Amino acid sequence: MQISTQQLDGDITRIMLDGRLDIAGAAAIDLKMNLIAGTARKLMIDMQNVTFLGSMGLSAIVIPSRAVHSRGGRVVLFAPNNLVESVLRTSGINGLLPVYHDFAAAIAALQ
Amino acid sequence: MLPALTMPAETNTKPDPRLTLHSRLDDLSLVWPWVDALGAEYAISAQTLFAIHLCLEEALSNIIRHGYLTHTDKPITVECKATAQHNLLFTIEDQAPPFDPAAATSAEEAPPPSSIDELKVGGRGINLLRKFAGSLAYERLADGNRLTIGFTIRG
Repeated sequence: MQISTQQLDGDITRIMLDGRLDIAGAAAIDLKMNLIAGTARKLMIDMQNVTFLGSMGLSAIVIPSRAVHSRGGRVVLFAPNNLVESVLRTSGINGLLPVYHDFAAAIAALQ
Repeated sequence: MLPALTMPAETNTKPDPRLTLHSRLDDLSLVWPWVDALGAEYAISAQTLFAIHLCLEEALSNIIRHGYLTHTDKPITVECKATAQHNLLFTIEDQAPPFDPAAATSAEEAPPPSSIDELKVGGRGINLLRKFAGSLAYERLADGNRLTIGFTIRG
């Protein structure tokens, strides 16, 4: 599991995840996700290259997102594939962390 | 001295129908290549393969983290069997205290949280297992548990 970041206009932090967000993948990104969430106020979690999502992977997204929310920030999820999105839907996460497939719409939601 | 001749590895062998793990999360890395090999063997769709990976990860990690707790050398076996009805059955056996994931899920069904601040961190794995499995059957053994997870692979 790879994680990288990009700073976008409007003080938006884009986290790009690449690989399987299974138990090993969640462990690989946990620390960095929480470090980023400690300072970011507008967070886009780019999931277009996430090929698998399990419950531990969900936690690796939810915990930092909650930290951003608790400081008055916003988080959106961007472009999960159909199978990954079905896990988000089944868990009810998509109702709490909005999912966008259009990049401009995701940016607009964070402004 | 000449090096010993070695036979090239056979690349077309069928995956073993049985996988044995120890009760540690690191051993879950053995499950991925095994399931992928079964996916190739039975020409399983990407959607079903995703569901198999998800259900096995949730079921096995639940046994390791909540069943065996701190014990890291306890056995878990997973056996895969194809049926004439185009189902693939994964039977997981462990020696942990009794736990029926199929029954536990009904009690877990609570109204969804209204905000992310209310969202519990844990407790989603069993729900995912129940939703993504084609079938779930639990049996209490004399010294453990048997969980059979089924998936339709064709037709």
